[in-house]
Amino acid sequence: MGNGTEHVNPTTETAKSAPAAASNGNPSFHDVSATISGIVERRDTPLWWWIAFGISATMTLGLLVQIAWLFWTGIGIWGNNIPVGWGFPIVNFVFWVGIGHAGTLISAILFLLRQRWRTSINRFAEAMTIFAVICAGLFPAIHVGRVWAIYWMFPLPNQMEMWPNFRSALMWDVFAVGTYFTASVLFWYTGLVPDWATLRDRARGWRQKVYGILALGWRGGNRQWKHYEMAYLLLAGVATPLVLSVHSVVSTDFATSMVFGWHSTIFPPYFVAGAIFSGFGMVTTLAILARALYPPVRDFMTLDTFDKMAKILMLTGMMVGYAYIIEFFTAWYSGNEYEQYVFINRAFGPYAVSYWIMFACNVIVPQLFWSKKLRRSLPVLFIASILVNVGMWFERFVIVISLHRDFLPSSWEMFKPTAFDIGFLAGSFGLFLTLFLLFLRFVPMVAMAEVKGVLPQADPHANGHHDRGGKEGGR
Amino acid sequence: MSATTSGRAAVETGAARVHGALARFSGPGELLRAAEEVRDAGYREFDCHSPFPIHGMDAAMGEKRSRLSWFVAACALFGFAGAVALQTWTSVDALPVVVAGKPFFSHVAFFPITFALTVLCSVVGAVVGLTFFIRQQYTHPVFHSDSFSASGSDDGFFISVLAVDGMFDREATAAFLREIGGTNVELLEET
Amino acid sequence: MQFDSQTHRFTDPGPFARIMLLAGIAGLALSAVGYFVDARQFFFSWLVAFTFWTTIGLGGLFITMVHHLTGATWSVVVRRIGEALMCALPWMALFAIPVLLGIGVLYEWTDPEAVAGSEMLSRKAGYLNIPFFVIRTVFYFAVWILLARLLAMKSLAQDAGWDDKRAHSLLTVSGPGMIAFALTVTFAAFDWLMSLQPLWYSTIYGLWFFGGAATSVMAMFAVTVSAIQAKGALTDVITPEHRHDIGKLMFAFLVFWGYMHLSQYLLIWYANLPEETAFYKMRWGAGWTAMSWILVAGGFVVPFILLMARGPKRGRSTLAAFAIWLLLMHWVDLYWNIMPALHEQTVILSWMDLTTMAGVGGFFLFFFWRWLTRHPLIPVTDPKLAASIRLVSG
Repeated sequence: MGNGTEHVNPTTETAKSAPAAASNGNPSFHDVSATISGIVERRDTPLWWWIAFGISATMTLGLLVQIAWLFWTGIGIWGNNIPVGWGFPIVNFVFWVGIGHAGTLISAILFLLRQRWRTSINRFAEAMTIFAVICAGLFPAIHVGRVWAIYWMFPLPNQMEMWPNFRSALMWDVFAVGTYFTASVLFWYTGLVPDWATLRDRARGWRQKVYGILALGWRGGNRQWKHYEMAYLLLAGVATPLVLSVHSVVSTDFATSMVFGWHSTIFPPYFVAGAIFSGFGMVTTLAILARALYPPVRDFMTLDTFDKMAKILMLTGMMVGYAYIIEFFTAWYSGNEYEQYVFINRAFGPYAVSYWIMFACNVIVPQLFWSKKLRRSLPVLFIASILVNVGMWFERFVIVISLHRDFLPSSWEMFKPTAFDIGFLAGSFGLFLTLFLLFLRFVPMVAMAEVKGVLPQADPHANGHHDRGGKEGGR
Repeated sequence: MSATTSGRAAVETGAARVHGALARFSGPGELLRAAEEVRDAGYREFDCHSPFPIHGMDAAMGEKRSRLSWFVAACALFGFAGAVALQTWTSVDALPVVVAGKPFFSHVAFFPITFALTVLCSVVGAVVGLTFFIRQQYTHPVFHSDSFSASGSDDGFFISVLAVDGMFDREATAAFLREIGGTNVELLEET
Repeated sequence: MQFDSQTHRFTDPGPFARIMLLAGIAGLALSAVGYFVDARQFFFSWLVAFTFWTTIGLGGLFITMVHHLTGATWSVVVRRIGEALMCALPWMALFAIPVLLGIGVLYEWTDPEAVAGSEMLSRKAGYLNIPFFVIRTVFYFAVWILLARLLAMKSLAQDAGWDDKRAHSLLTVSGPGMIAFALTVTFAAFDWLMSLQPLWYSTIYGLWFFGGAATSVMAMFAVTVSAIQAKGALTDVITPEHRHDIGKLMFAFLVFWGYMHLSQYLLIWYANLPEETAFYKMRWGAGWTAMSWILVAGGFVVPFILLMARGPKRGRSTLAAFAIWLLLMHWVDLYWNIMPALHEQTVILSWMDLTTMAGVGGFFLFFFWRWLTRHPLIPVTDPKLAASIRLVSG
């Protein structure tokens, strides 16, 4: 179909009407369906997509090759060694889990807070969450060494009568991340059901069948909507403590230990704030890209949306900064030399550069967003959001790497990442982007039903209608 | 189609079986008003279809609040009890191992997994329960309508009155739907 | 007590303020007697009462700033309650004086001999010393009072005529104000409460303190809404939807507070380091176990389960009942944190716990109520007012 650069609607109209309607700031219901579905329905995949997909798929293949080599050789191919027994794999794990937090935050918490602007980015962010958690789950799975025994992590009855140690923080991770992944997928899918129905009704042939199966026979009756809304509310209500618990549990991997610099009671909320921060950074980065590459979604991902995302970045960045300050102060206040040494060593020791990168990116950079002009400047926001994730990666690096100074100077050892360490990190980005590109291509990237629900004309009382005393409870 | 639940009580009228009537309304406000009319007229087996949920529709239709939350609460309780039982039994009875000097039954250390499994069960319960509560089925009389299939999930607002309703009458119901402002009134006929 | 629904003011504020003033005077007088009976008990009881009411005032400041920062609509109709609460903070500065006077009794680190005898304490002397402590407390109050006055003055000025510029200036105060608030509240918690056991430390302590303040301020909102509606004020303006929102926030902050407690406990329990577990060893020791369980069950588990339901959050009396219970639990929480420094072995409730609460609380509520009744109960010119009244939620 037609002109390659503009979005095309295979059914009939509106290649022109959507932007026209949006220019007066208020698209019609049909414009929403047509614009968003149009992206999925177009048959001519844009060239940039193929290029990006080619690169990311190649990186993913590289990752798979490296994983094969890892299984063949063993985890000695990484730089991990005593005393830094946890190197890049755990850094990457925490990094990706953290990124996975924004999706559920946007879907659940902002939903409960009735932040309507979330409708333009929630689908997007939820998808990102799922892919980030996939990347995250990969690292502990391949780090176990004997990957063929990985099912030992699950409480499966076996002939050895062995059971997992449920008192271990690492086992908590298995359950927390597993639950989080399941919940994210179900939440995402539930949100998608009405949109699959829209695609079903617009498609013909085998596509209609596929979408029809995915849509679960959705017919949009209020007898469905009322349960659907309740389910959504419940999912949001349950996902909110879940999202807080997941990174809290991840933080206990460190904080339940007796390692100075790791054992700090602020770790759970501090990790959660950091996770939301980096997740929002990633959502911002990807949303700006999607907006640049898919002009039709500009009507939905407006500058107001980005303005709010920048504010949340600033807020969570300052929460992280708060934790840095309080940790540093308490290290001094504790009067414990080991505790103090760890923090001084982080800031002024051999890895000081990573500490200051972390501090600059996470605390200084978000201060830009005091300015409304900068919040609404997409280039600034784009660069800042990338820096945020650079900073958050280094934050985890700083925490993990503080192992290089053990209690005894005789066991001090520097950590040097190997080429494989870098390769796995790059490969995980490849995997993430591959999945994300597939999502952009095949799934409606904006929640159509939700966007319609917050349009001004969706308010049934918009024309001054008043209920005639509904007698609640018909049957 | 005759095997579906909706086909059961369909009215035999000559060649085609009428499963109900469908009318289109121009917007959410109109749909809400019409729902009140249909409710007050005494219909029970009707539904208001819209591309997004409409606030106040439950009251307008005379619907109760969803009871899904009770189902989910039961699932959560199951998850909680199951997690406590699993961890206690494995750690205390099945394989008691001293690790880090922690007691076999460590309620603090069991907390994260108990929480996770409670959430897991409630989430799965919410979604599985949803498919039951919404009476998930791939075939439904409304899909017989071309205009519903074309715009029901896009920008169309419809009321369907099913033939299983005791008050349903193919002439009177259609006239009634027209009277309350419905356009494109049609009978949902098997074709 | 009469309410004029045109001006949204009480034409006759009723006897509540007078009763509170009398309670305050009586409480202070009796507490003063208590000082001569048992000075140590007096100062500790005072510290509990002082932190209890100060946290509620701080919560008011927090909620007001959040309201401006988020540009929330629903809270417009109840904004004045938060403002009235924060405007009682200047008076709390006055009540900080006994804490400063009792510093030698309350805090072990003020004893030069104890410091000289403990290497750890002498390492902390750069922070834990009397002049710096006093300066800090004065500074905290200076910041809070400045913020509260600025926000309240500007908000009241809006009543004469809405000015968008002024509305924006409320936002510009609240942004940096929130940073100042976060840091001052944290260090106030470290100073006033954490340093009671000077060897113990917990990085999360400031967040725990804030969590208690935020929960109890929402409880205070609920109680106030219930009280003024019982007097026939704002019955059409504040709807079950608003109560639902207050209840939801109260619930959310309750969970936040419980999460802070759990994080602290779980990590200290797990690592099992002697210098940290001392805090819990005392509180789970024989005489304190019962109170610890009350805090766990009554402060969190039971209200958490019951408040999950929708009904209790929407009903006027049910919400108020939960709110009063949570306020009581806030007191238990503070008592549980403070008092083991005095009564290490077991809980010994004193009549001074009651008189100091009445003394400080009487004045706090007097000033709170006086502010609330002197000004329109809702920001009448706020352009979001109509939307706030019309609020519909799930």
